[in-house]
Amino acid sequence: MNKTQLLQGTLDLLILRILDLGPNHGWGISNRLQQISKDGLKTSQGSLYPALHRLEMRGEVRSEMTPSENNRRARVYTITPQGRKRLTKETETWEAFALSMRRVLRVDR
Amino acid sequence: MIARLFATLRGLLRRRQIDSEIEEELRDHLEREIERHRQGGLSLENARRLALRDLGGLTQTRESTRDVRAIWVDAVWRDLKYGARVLRRSPRFTLTALTVLVLGIASTTAIFSVAYAVLVRPLPYVDAERLVFLAEQQGSGIAWPNLDDWRHRATSLEGLAGSLADAVVVTSGPLPKRIDSLSVTANFFGVLGAAPFHGRLFDESDARPDAASTAVVSHAFSVREFGGAPAAIGQTVFFSRRPYTVIGVLPPGFRYMTPADVYLLLEPQVVANYRGMQSRANHTNLYAVGRLERGVDVTSARAEMLNIVGALALEYPDTNKGRNGVYLVPLSERVVGDMAPTLTVLAGAVALLLLIACVNLGSLLLNRSASRAHELAIRAAIGGSRWSLIRQLLVEHGLLVGAGGVLGAVAGAAILSALVGVAPPDTPRLDEIRLDFVVLSVTALFSCACALLFGVLPALTISAGNHDMVLRSGRGSTRQNSRLRRGLLIGEVAVATVLLCGSGLMVQTMVRLSRVDPGFDPYNLQTVMFSPWGAGWSDARRQAFFPEAVGRLRAVPGVETAAITYSLPILGSNWWAWFTVAGRPIPPGAVMMDLPSAGMVPVSDGYFETLKVPVIKGRSFNRFDTADSEPVAIINSSLVQLYFRDEDPIGKQIRLGGSRPTEGYGPWRTIVGIVGDVKQHGIDQLTPQQIFMPILQQTRASTAFAVARTRGTVASSAIEAAIHDVDRSVPVFNDRTVQQLMREASSRRRVAAIVLSVFAIAAVLLAAIGLYGVVAQNVMKRRREIGVRMALGATSDQILRLFLRHGFVVVAVGIGCGLLAAVAAARSLAALVFGVTPRDPATLAAVAALLTAVTLLASYLPARSATRVDPSEALRSE
Repeated sequence: MNKTQLLQGTLDLLILRILDLGPNHGWGISNRLQQISKDGLKTSQGSLYPALHRLEMRGEVRSEMTPSENNRRARVYTITPQGRKRLTKETETWEAFALSMRRVLRVDR
Repeated sequence: MIARLFATLRGLLRRRQIDSEIEEELRDHLEREIERHRQGGLSLENARRLALRDLGGLTQTRESTRDVRAIWVDAVWRDLKYGARVLRRSPRFTLTALTVLVLGIASTTAIFSVAYAVLVRPLPYVDAERLVFLAEQQGSGIAWPNLDDWRHRATSLEGLAGSLADAVVVTSGPLPKRIDSLSVTANFFGVLGAAPFHGRLFDESDARPDAASTAVVSHAFSVREFGGAPAAIGQTVFFSRRPYTVIGVLPPGFRYMTPADVYLLLEPQVVANYRGMQSRANHTNLYAVGRLERGVDVTSARAEMLNIVGALALEYPDTNKGRNGVYLVPLSERVVGDMAPTLTVLAGAVALLLLIACVNLGSLLLNRSASRAHELAIRAAIGGSRWSLIRQLLVEHGLLVGAGGVLGAVAGAAILSALVGVAPPDTPRLDEIRLDFVVLSVTALFSCACALLFGVLPALTISAGNHDMVLRSGRGSTRQNSRLRRGLLIGEVAVATVLLCGSGLMVQTMVRLSRVDPGFDPYNLQTVMFSPWGAGWSDARRQAFFPEAVGRLRAVPGVETAAITYSLPILGSNWWAWFTVAGRPIPPGAVMMDLPSAGMVPVSDGYFETLKVPVIKGRSFNRFDTADSEPVAIINSSLVQLYFRDEDPIGKQIRLGGSRPTEGYGPWRTIVGIVGDVKQHGIDQLTPQQIFMPILQQTRASTAFAVARTRGTVASSAIEAAIHDVDRSVPVFNDRTVQQLMREASSRRRVAAIVLSVFAIAAVLLAAIGLYGVVAQNVMKRRREIGVRMALGATSDQILRLFLRHGFVVVAVGIGCGLLAAVAAARSLAALVFGVTPRDPATLAAVAALLTAVTLLASYLPARSATRVDPSEALRSE
């Protein structure tokens, strides 16, 4: 899998995981993504924002325009209980999937 | 789910705010990113470039983020823009479709609005469905004593009121004015449920013998004469030189049957003043309106009235024997009168036209969808969902239909006002006609449903399963599609056949009517109506008036000859009387009905010469026929044939019947002449038996006509002036030429003929266009096949026949069905046609021939282009 071509569901999962650590704005999420994955999962920032708004439309995150330094306002996203529920569920699914992948790959060897 | 819906909604409402917030959010991101790169040691310019690149461009990201919000609204907007572009790109299709839509919606809305206003919309009275109209048998006027008995005996009626259309002369202004009045019984307004606009209406207190003379006036009259409704109350007005006190003003627009400005009382003490109204034999134009008791229907009321009428016939055999019938119909039916068949035919015709328009639209859309199937299939293949295809087509056709609907409504309003302009002036409820929005929405919905159905159908058939087949074949038209189109075309030809038959019959009717000999020369005849009844005129004054007026009329420059009569040809006469012939014994026990009868027409000297009615035998009237000379009469040929078949009537004596068969009325009159038959009651009517008498020997009547034969046109004011020269107190009104009167009399048929013909032409054109399109499409589709055939040696004749045969089958089946339908529908035209049967075989044959010729031409043109296909080119092209 090309590292820039993240599946949409995967990106949602990653965003929820980062917001699970605490509220953050778009740039912060993008930075955390790179840090956590050690630059191995660099997302296109272009697809980050539609994804965030889509998550908000689905009610899995909520956002607020908050004042930040330098007289600016930043949109800060917070995970909702609904988002947390999805995170838990999809993490399990993902782990189960990864596990089976590993098993298969090992057998093939 | 609900949260999402809410967010979408909020997105719609706060669109601009959300947009600016997204902008702000992205700019914040960019600045942080640039800051980060700057800290990494990059120049500002490089940092910005890098940040923008990583974001994937500010505009793109903003767009794609915004797309997440308000998803479907944006999509529909996109579809709209795309749809408009598609429609603009194919102007020929768009224009044709719009024309068809506008034509269908506009004409249907206009005609149906008229039909709805006249036929369907309830009359403007309280509980109008309980109102019934009553007359004596065959709709003749009610004798006052009979009406009085009906009122006392009928139990199925809550109330029964009489009304008599009349005219009064307002004698207050500089020149006397004649206005229409209605004499009504005191309970009239109560029965109708009318409420006063100001003051009060008649009630029983006005019917008391000692009550003052009162009048109720129309709103228009109160404004015209007194400057407003409140000012009118209590005023004294002189109608025909008698004073009346105005007690009430009716609401604006109130009207019963015919328009009237003044309502006067018709009660026993008033009736006493009406000459002859006390007679049970005198059937004036007194009619009645009744209100059914709750729960009583028309049939049982009619049954009760029949009993009452039957009882009266036994009680008063002299006058009522044989009068066993009664005319009782819902008031609405009477108001609409004989307009119903015309309107029904027009509404039927326009419904057929709408059908054709929809069918054509459908076939147009099917045609187009066939050519677009390729595009749709590509979109489906590259991942467009079925729903998005359907949505796209819905929006596109919605756009088309919306535009068509708006234009159709505008055009419909225009057609409607034109229709009201040419409508016969006696069209019932003409003033109530307006563009009806219920009708408009129904027709618009109908066309929309049709457009959407045929427009979206192709998207439904392109499912995931077959789009690759469409793509491979290169053409979208499926066999199913073309069969449907052929079916539509057959329907179209059939409807065109029906309309063409109707229009053919009406055109023949008009031609035959114009060929009828009216019995006189209707050209260059000018008439005015006047009331030769100056109150207080002595008999001598009256006697002097007519010769003087005739003399002055003849002296008007441009007038060749002139005369005065109490009734004009075509307009009919309303004086019908029984008579006895001297020397013919009246059988004992005979009643009035057993005596011979005829229409009575008092005329001045020179009448027959002015109208150019031939005097067949004897002499016509001259200036020596006065009140003092021998009473004479002239009879027409029809009367001779009915009553003097075997003898010479000249010199025989006749006398009008009195109130009993044995009694006479007036003097014995000697028959001095026989004149030719004249179409007295209308061109399409049989000539009645008529007796003419000198006007000076029968001077009493409330209205008369002056008629002048002119060289070229003479101003009607000159003719009016001639009468005013004799006496300024005589009101003159309603100037017309006899030709105008004849045109007005036949205006219903003419309107029907014009509308039917226009519709028929439109229908034939639509059918021809449809056929042309189908054959042309067929030729296009089979170019390759034609090429092969020609390469293998087919002659152009054979190719031509191949395509003509295809069109011909459709045409033959369509015409066949249409003729059957026309024969079945013939009954609806029966009331309108004249001189031709509604199933006239010659008309049917002519229609079939004409349609065959037109449609064959329509399929010949594209078929011929098939023969010009160059085989090598056709084979190479694919």
